[in-house]
Amino acid sequence: MESNHSHEFKISKFEAPKNLKVIMIAFLGIGLLTFAFGLLKNPERMWTSYLTSFFFFASLAAGSMFFIAFNYAAKAGWSASIRRFAEAMANYMPVMLITAIILILGFKKLYVWADADQLQNLSGGKVIYLAPWFVTLRVVLFAVGCLVFRRLIVGNSLKQDKTGAHELTYKNIKYSIGFIAFFAIFFTMFSFDLMMSLLPTWYSTIFGIYCFAGAIQATMAVLAIIIMIMKNSRWISGYVNIEHQHDVAKYMKGFTVFWAYIAFSQFMLIWYANIPEETEFYIMRSLNGWMGVSFALLIFRFIVPFLVLLPRGAKRNDTILMAVSVLILVMQYVDIYWLVYPNFFDGVPQFGLWEVGIFLGFTGLFLMTMIQFFTKNNVVAINDPRLHEALNHHVTY
Amino acid sequence: MGKPSNRKRTLGGMAGIFLEESKVVKAAYKVRESGFIKFDAISPYPIHGMEEACGIKRSSIPYVTFAAGVFGLLAALGLVYYTSVTNWPINVGGKPMFSLPAFIPIMFELTVLFAALCSVGALFYHCSMPKIDPPTIDKDLTSHKFAIFIPENDVGYGEDRIHKMLTELGAVEVKKVAEY
Repeated sequence: MESNHSHEFKISKFEAPKNLKVIMIAFLGIGLLTFAFGLLKNPERMWTSYLTSFFFFASLAAGSMFFIAFNYAAKAGWSASIRRFAEAMANYMPVMLITAIILILGFKKLYVWADADQLQNLSGGKVIYLAPWFVTLRVVLFAVGCLVFRRLIVGNSLKQDKTGAHELTYKNIKYSIGFIAFFAIFFTMFSFDLMMSLLPTWYSTIFGIYCFAGAIQATMAVLAIIIMIMKNSRWISGYVNIEHQHDVAKYMKGFTVFWAYIAFSQFMLIWYANIPEETEFYIMRSLNGWMGVSFALLIFRFIVPFLVLLPRGAKRNDTILMAVSVLILVMQYVDIYWLVYPNFFDGVPQFGLWEVGIFLGFTGLFLMTMIQFFTKNNVVAINDPRLHEALNHHVTY
Repeated sequence: MGKPSNRKRTLGGMAGIFLEESKVVKAAYKVRESGFIKFDAISPYPIHGMEEACGIKRSSIPYVTFAAGVFGLLAALGLVYYTSVTNWPINVGGKPMFSLPAFIPIMFELTVLFAALCSVGALFYHCSMPKIDPPTIDKDLTSHKFAIFIPENDVGYGEDRIHKMLTELGAVEVKKVAEY
């Protein structure tokens, strides 16, 4: 029987391994080169690739804030020792704002509504809702809002490391409730604005939840990977163990089911009603080789992770959990790719170095913000009043 | 409170009453280390770590749930296939008679129904419930007291020995009781 209570509790200063830094800088270089080269050679392909990767990492950052917020709001104790990992992911927020502003420069290449003449052809309220200045305002508000909430919540959490004041936790509960409300409204609009409006004649009211479900599933996958790396590392001992990994894996599995539920709900209603303006979305994703990608989503984003994560042992096995986490992250990219690309290049799937290069660039940025956070702060929230609950956390069978 | 009657399969034994959660967990460890296997720990609420302390293995209920879920899924597929395709085919919106997307909600619901009901059934079976009018060891065991119960058919059962051991482990009271 496993017992996790015999460890010694120790943390030491985080220092990024040399090869990780080299990889990060290489990724940043590749991304920057692809971006610059793409702007000159193949701007349309570069922007579609940029949008896909931007949305991928924005979802992770916003998702990590959501994880922090719902754990505060629910007064959860078990997650106190892994909250820093989610906070490190949320450190991406300033980069998200900057990359969002860069994305706005590409609106003309990506969106039909960015063209004033075409915007007038859209029906009724969409002329106002999709007016470029209004979309820009909403995207910037989302990024700035996330940044402000991160300042407040993570700021208080870091302050608590020094003072240990309990009222900071109470304050964070209020901020977290505020963030959840903000996130529900603005993330829905964020996914409507950036993903759904690629095809402005099509709409689905469940679309925001669809993007949310995928985002949280992917966030849990990243969190699980960080836990698996950190629990055996030299920077941390005793604070994070297999019990936390198990619970994060449960969330991952839960959101796997939730994603399938939402994806199927969206599909079935459209399939059943069979109205041309709605089916358009799925028809585009069943032609020109997209059918394979659609089925890959069903199989590798739901069926495989669902069955593999079902046994208790799988969630507590590093090799299996790592493989499933990576699979889920790959499928999250494929999902966003599946939302973006059928609208371009005559509906024929395009994949190549443009996509890989930009994605690596964003990965570099994400790693950079995370390394910076870990280097500057403690890897565990050492003065959290609920830390003892996390240290004694125990998943019953 | 019912008196143990002879018609029921009652089982006598010794019970130690504890007032603290930490003591009862430690006591369960010690009792197991002393060689008892059939003993039971009784608590008003679930205690973390008690399964390990008592040496309780994982229950087989999850396997029942999985098997029942798979059965429910296939049963639902059979049901909708028989009713909508074979027995009484009705053309709905020009869709094929065998339209999986329309069947999935029913398959999902029956999966959940079978899995849930069979889990509850398996739980009742495992705990040999319902136990009608069982003998009461101590009426406070449902509010704030804990107990370790060692049945008389356990290995190395001896009243004096158990009395001494449980008292040493911090039991405030050790009594001879019956359970089933």
